[in-house]
Amino acid sequence: MDVSGIIASNAAKYKSITVEKETPLVVDTGLLLVSDHNPIDEDSYNENLEEHLQNLARDGVQELFASLFALPTQTSEDGPLAQLPPPTTPMPRAKPLPKPKPPTKWEQFAAAKGIQHRKRDKREWDEERQEWVNRWGRDGKNKQLEEQWITEVPLHADVDHDPRKVARDERKARVAKNQKQQEANLARGSQGGRKQEIERTMATTRISTASMGKFDKKLDGEKKVRGVKRKFDPTEKPMEEEKSASLALLSRMGSDAKKTRREPAPEENVVNVRKAVRFASKGRGGIALGAASARGRGRGGRGGGRGGRGGKR
Amino acid sequence: MRPLTEDESRAVFEKLANYIGKNLIHLIDRPDGAYCFRLQKDRVYYVSEESMRLSISVARPNLVSLGTCFGKFSKSGKFKLHITALDYISKYAKYKVWIKPNGEMPFLYGNHVLKAHLGRITEDTPEHQGVVVYSMSDMPLGFGVTARATVDTRKLDPTSIIIFHQADVGEYLRDEDTLF
Repeated sequence: MDVSGIIASNAAKYKSITVEKETPLVVDTGLLLVSDHNPIDEDSYNENLEEHLQNLARDGVQELFASLFALPTQTSEDGPLAQLPPPTTPMPRAKPLPKPKPPTKWEQFAAAKGIQHRKRDKREWDEERQEWVNRWGRDGKNKQLEEQWITEVPLHADVDHDPRKVARDERKARVAKNQKQQEANLARGSQGGRKQEIERTMATTRISTASMGKFDKKLDGEKKVRGVKRKFDPTEKPMEEEKSASLALLSRMGSDAKKTRREPAPEENVVNVRKAVRFASKGRGGIALGAASARGRGRGGRGGGRGGRGGKR
Repeated sequence: MRPLTEDESRAVFEKLANYIGKNLIHLIDRPDGAYCFRLQKDRVYYVSEESMRLSISVARPNLVSLGTCFGKFSKSGKFKLHITALDYISKYAKYKVWIKPNGEMPFLYGNHVLKAHLGRITEDTPEHQGVVVYSMSDMPLGFGVTARATVDTRKLDPTSIIIFHQADVGEYLRDEDTLF
């Protein structure tokens, strides 16, 4: 019996599961993406557009499914799940790149003078102790002068000259100066600075009238005051932080419920302590009352003596 | 997409705690990975950390949905739970109600549960308590709020309402376009 005819008709009905193209299709299984780089066949395109597109799509989907079924699977409640590999096609980011930080004053100066940035090590070699010590921080070299057990005192120094205090004050002044410079850099970096400050004062003064600035004369080119925009938490935060914040809120919600239940019973506070103190001290408060009673105890003997004398008369 | 503010989280947690009580901790502190709540176009989504990080790169107008939608904030700032949260709520539900087969369809069309349709109910359920509604074959159908405490239901007539309807799985068809 010749079955070749049946096989041939069957084969014609079902298309081959292998897709053969001049340029092979590029499959990115991670993104479920197939790209066809072949040039468009103009004849079939003009002849029947729908069929041409369907054929193209069919080939792509066939290739995609073939690659999907070749993947390792994982069983789940909803049937086997294919484990997708990481995508290979790079995708552009939706958001703009973060803006670079504005240069500090020192960085501007260094760039102008052509000074190369040399990162200073946090640790420093101590010749005397023959070991590496911290430049600053715990047991830092910058605190050596104020921590050594004996310090030279300059000739003709004041009686109350304390070399340790002098060294410490100098160090603290350096820290404060650096802090100030840092703040100045930040202020220069942020838009405005002084200008922003003036604008803020202007906005405040504008609404500081009886009518909240509604019936004031408007100046030429005066801009409408814009309010402060709402600020939200960043979308990306360390997960641990977020979780602990949620748990803290939950426990606070629980404690709120407890607080309402734990209100003191009225019979506990029969005496209004605050009122009693005010009455006893004649409005001068608890401290004055305590001081008065302490003095009263000291004078108590004398008072009693006086009383005794009165009795004799 | 953004994390919830404290007031918003409070609203969401209060609503969820109405159904699952202290089990809410299990939603936040999960052993199988980090999950979080995110707000996108007034809707609150419960997302794994991984898909949350992936969806950061999608611009806000283009982001349709992520994770599981738990509900949405109304314009007046109240939080409304959606039926899509049923998977998690039924998993941790404290109080449950089973309804008879003849009461399933009326409930799935959005009606309240009558006493005649009540199959079983968790013992000592208080009044106005959030409950999950199951069919007799333990399939979660939706959730609602009890109209009466379990004790008071005994002397009611069969046509009186026992559970006020809040959400049911029929909404997947009825509110398909606004649900997710």
